[in-house]
Amino acid sequence: MNPLAGLLSERLSKAQVVDGCDTEPWAVCGRLPKAVVFPESEEQVAEILSLSSEEGWHCVPGGRGSWLHGGQPPPGVDILLSAERMNDISAYEPADQYIEAQAGAELDALERRTAECQQWLALDPPGGERGTIGAMLAVGTAGPLQAGFGSPRDQVLGATLVTGDGRVLDLGGRVVKNVAGFDVLKLVAGSWGTLGMITSVTMRLHPVPATDRSLLFKGVEAADGAELACRLARAPLPLAAVELLVPGDGESGVGAPSPLVAVRILESVDAADEAERVVSERAGMPPVQRLEGEQSAAIFDNVRAMEDGAELVLRLSLLPTRLPELVEMTSRLRGLYDPTEGWGMRLAAHAQAGVLRVMIAKVTRSDDWVDRAKTVLGVLRRSLEAEGGSLVISQGPPEIVGAVSAWGELGPAALFTAGIQAAFDPAGILTRGRLPQ
Amino acid sequence: MPEPLTKELGDRLRGVVGAAWVIADPDRLLAYESDGLTAYRRTPRAVVLPRDTDEVSRVLGILSQEAVPVVPRGAGTGLSGGALADGDAVVVGTARMTDMLKLDPANRLARVQPGMINADLTTAAEPFGLYYAPDPSSQSACTLGGNVAENSGGPHCLKYGVTARYVTGLTVVTYDGKIVEMGGFGRELGGYDLLGVFVGSEGCFGIATEIEVRLLPKPEGVRTLLAIFDRLGDAGRAVTEIMAEGLLPAALEIIDGPTIRAVEASVFAAGFPTDAEAALVVEFDGIEAGLAADVERAVVRCREAGAREVRTADSDEERLALWQGRKKAFGAMGQIASDLLVQDATVPRSKLTDVLGRISEIGVRHDLTIANVFHAGDGNLHPNLLFDRSDPEEVARVERASTEIMAVCVEAGGTITGEHGVGLDKRRYMSLVHGPEELEAMRRVKAVFDPRGHMNPGKVLPDRPDAAGGAL
Repeated sequence: MNPLAGLLSERLSKAQVVDGCDTEPWAVCGRLPKAVVFPESEEQVAEILSLSSEEGWHCVPGGRGSWLHGGQPPPGVDILLSAERMNDISAYEPADQYIEAQAGAELDALERRTAECQQWLALDPPGGERGTIGAMLAVGTAGPLQAGFGSPRDQVLGATLVTGDGRVLDLGGRVVKNVAGFDVLKLVAGSWGTLGMITSVTMRLHPVPATDRSLLFKGVEAADGAELACRLARAPLPLAAVELLVPGDGESGVGAPSPLVAVRILESVDAADEAERVVSERAGMPPVQRLEGEQSAAIFDNVRAMEDGAELVLRLSLLPTRLPELVEMTSRLRGLYDPTEGWGMRLAAHAQAGVLRVMIAKVTRSDDWVDRAKTVLGVLRRSLEAEGGSLVISQGPPEIVGAVSAWGELGPAALFTAGIQAAFDPAGILTRGRLPQ
Repeated sequence: MPEPLTKELGDRLRGVVGAAWVIADPDRLLAYESDGLTAYRRTPRAVVLPRDTDEVSRVLGILSQEAVPVVPRGAGTGLSGGALADGDAVVVGTARMTDMLKLDPANRLARVQPGMINADLTTAAEPFGLYYAPDPSSQSACTLGGNVAENSGGPHCLKYGVTARYVTGLTVVTYDGKIVEMGGFGRELGGYDLLGVFVGSEGCFGIATEIEVRLLPKPEGVRTLLAIFDRLGDAGRAVTEIMAEGLLPAALEIIDGPTIRAVEASVFAAGFPTDAEAALVVEFDGIEAGLAADVERAVVRCREAGAREVRTADSDEERLALWQGRKKAFGAMGQIASDLLVQDATVPRSKLTDVLGRISEIGVRHDLTIANVFHAGDGNLHPNLLFDRSDPEEVARVERASTEIMAVCVEAGGTITGEHGVGLDKRRYMSLVHGPEELEAMRRVKAVFDPRGHMNPGKVLPDRPDAAGGAL
């Protein structure tokens, strides 16, 4: 063991620390940590973090490692703390519709548990079922259901955060309405582990709806798919999700890929029938496919998994009515990849939110590939920002993310960033630079 | 008595907003000495009423140069004393900032000034089939700026969520006059959720001068039913059963026996049987076709829980009649008692019946009438303590009973305020729900936005145990 790993294993136990090539699955944007530790309690997390603050060791908190390739690459990583072994469901109260779990509990486990009582966690962030609840909150990304149910920040009731200097903060509570003091929990959602390590999370649950129905409509080409998605998103109905899906170049056989618009309806039986009628009328065509129950859920599980195997994932946003323009703009990315390599480029958009995800299977390497990406993405980001939108690189080759920056300009709001970090991580050990400064 | 503005400072402020909009006359300041919680009264040093972001920024720039504390104020309908200013502080009010800045129906978005009345936003959005969801009971008077400060709720937030879910962007002016944009619909910023932590910060971080909110399509249909119970516990059970059924009503509201009798004895009489001990209002909204079945299931659950009578409404008029008792409850209580303390706390829904029983015992023990009106679906209680402020002994009993009620709610796994905020009134209960580390974290976060501690000082956070008192 290297000296750091040795020291840590003395503090915890040998079985809780790995180093050397065993750290490979835990690379953070390509950077290998010197040691990966698997704390088994909040106290152990606090011990490691307060020791690291004293010693100036750089730490990255993680769950099972699904998101470690995202965000801005940190300058270096000494210790990766995985919540993997802290995975108990500590409280589930069906009558009060909340579930409390340790940060390393898998979304899948929560889903199985709550399904027993006809309840569910109405979130579908990108990534697999084995993602952890702690990572979901730390990353804060929402999926297609955000229009109907909100993001993780809207559905989290409470969390325990161990700060960079090892303080244990119990934030929020277990009730839906709670305005007792400043909502520090909101800062934790989407903080990418830069304020501390989340060790426990309490989430709001919803009753499983009587009907889960997805209607798939087919467009001729990407542009009219986007128009259709916009039109359906504006239906005067409480639709759970309206998602535009454009398959990759290599996934659609001959010619330009045909876009699909998937509309998810979560309602009582009668209401779902009526919603289907209104949506179909608005689409001006019947759905090409109509999926019910598990099949409906499955198609949206596929949407969650669409980033799998992508080398570059971008999130572009503008106001929802401008989705067709966003889709159009993706043609500027054509020079970055070879459409015959893998499935090329896929698109998926949350039409009600105006968020378009762009997934590129493989970025073409040439002599000037990083410069080219820098130019294309820089121009695209500037034009979106000028229109009140944004471009975020969710994941990408570290060379590109390093050159372009994962995040855009914060403007005057950046005034507060350093202060917030210092309030939670005074020694600056938690991956400063992983979020925009 | 407040310290008067110096002529020089007064002139500088008048130079920004105009002479008519700096109020320093003691008689006119009386209107600003309390908010909706009238137990507290304090007179501010002056009131300044700017017109827009730029004026707010210049006013705050001047006040911060002189280190004058600032208290933001909307309509003054708050119920926690949050808008009260000590004699050294200047109130910066939003009464003149009432414009709709942008209404974008296609994107279901509005950008407004903070002084706009909550209900006026819905009125403006209605022609486009849209509405603004958070509906605090004071919505015909309270401002959206105040709603942002308090993270306000309302009866329909059971289904739709509170203010924080609807605010998508803010323009904020900090104490030193800096203008900062937070959030914005249609863009995903990396970085900390400043917007999220600003909502509910009770004027302690800065003043929101522009507010961007999400609107929702108006539900196609609404159905309301009213169930009358002989026992409050049965009404509580009906709530649990309706939720366990997997139904998601838009609102689930209970008024208890003492409230029913107060309503029926008032000009707001709604035709409720005065020997009943609870009335439960259940409302469903959404796609018309699905509502009848939902109502039917809820009626069955109410009857099974022991409802002696269930009324349904077919027309809008009948629907409003069913809501009458709930909506007029506070007004009615004002008619039977000279003073009223509206408490606010949240408990897990499954603990409702238990907690209500304990609150009733507290009332008996302190010889006080406590009438309950509450958002049962999300466990948000509003025990109303009736008293006469001219009787100091009774006031003391109200104080003691309030403290005990807070303790009971926290013990049940709840919290000391669900929607009214901490303000001045509940600082003393903060340590019931937060430990020293959590309070310290909140202090540090406040200091990031307001390092000098002059924005709405003396609110929300209790003084540090080791401090002599005063700022932060």
